[in-house]
Amino acid sequence: MPLWLNIALRSTGLFVFLLLLTRLPGRRQASRLTMFDVLTAIVLGGTTGAISLNLLPRLESGLIVLAVWSLFPLSLHFLSLKYKAARDVVQGREMVLVNHGKVLEDSLLQARLTAEDLLSRLRTKNVFNIADVEFASLETDGELSVLLKKDRAPVTAKTLGVATGQESVPQTVILDGAIMDEPLTALGLNRRWLRTELAKTGVAPENVFIGQVDHTGQVYLDLFDDSVAVSTPKTRDLLFLTLKKCQADLELYALQTGDPESQRMYGESSLALSQALRELEPLLRR
Amino acid sequence: MRKGMPVTVAGSVKQTLASLKGARATVETLASLENDAGSRAVLDRSAGLIAGVVNALEERTRALEFQEPQYKGL
Repeated sequence: MPLWLNIALRSTGLFVFLLLLTRLPGRRQASRLTMFDVLTAIVLGGTTGAISLNLLPRLESGLIVLAVWSLFPLSLHFLSLKYKAARDVVQGREMVLVNHGKVLEDSLLQARLTAEDLLSRLRTKNVFNIADVEFASLETDGELSVLLKKDRAPVTAKTLGVATGQESVPQTVILDGAIMDEPLTALGLNRRWLRTELAKTGVAPENVFIGQVDHTGQVYLDLFDDSVAVSTPKTRDLLFLTLKKCQADLELYALQTGDPESQRMYGESSLALSQALRELEPLLRR
Repeated sequence: MRKGMPVTVAGSVKQTLASLKGARATVETLASLENDAGSRAVLDRSAGLIAGVVNALEERTRALEFQEPQYKGL
């Protein structure tokens, strides 16, 4: 067998082997590489290169290295899925670096991090003041996770005590001028509904680059022609304002009328509307 | 007709009534499109509240039309 054929065959075989091997551990590995994973990759890569180029005196020795270095990590990986102890050995454990707002110098030393390292890692997390940190831990892949003190954490609707409506993922129903049927049916809508909505804004579907429908049925359109202004959906804002105006009108009528019977009716109606407004606000305003 | 009362009371009440009817229809449309059960319940309840006000106002406009017959059917 000529040398070039030999090398080509080896390379092809190893290429397929490595491709299959790297697919086996699943998604997790892609983003969370531990030191151990990196080492394995280096050994596998080096050996593969050596075998491909026919640098080893015997083919078997290279194959044995490959077998050991792929079987051991794989079996360790499957063990670590099953057992916590194996997981601690293979992936290591996360280390608490800051607890209750106090830096734990011992863990810092154990993680081989200096105070500057900690500060710079905190800064990459947009934390510039160590006094704001309640808890920070070093994950097994070297990422730092930070929990801010309650008064320094970003406000959420819950901490503000604001009621919010439910919202699910918007569906992309038009891409590159083509109507996508599957996302439409996922929302319980159809082409005819979409055409009606498009006609309302006066846009042909062919002119739409991206069209999205949120879970409330409001359509957002991005056109090929960026100079054309598309009106953004305002149904909900308008509804809220209309109801608010009606409620104010009713209060006015209650003041104007001299008839006590209708004054009571206007007052009650105004109250009913303000109750409806209170309940609708989280759904209509956002 | 009482003294000092604007002559267009029936007209403005009817305007409010029309706005409210439109609002009720919009709320009902939103309710029919809503997938989340909790939000739909809120919308249905609000539609009911608005419908109650619409009924009360309709009754009132009938009385006003009787008082201001020149604005009947406005």
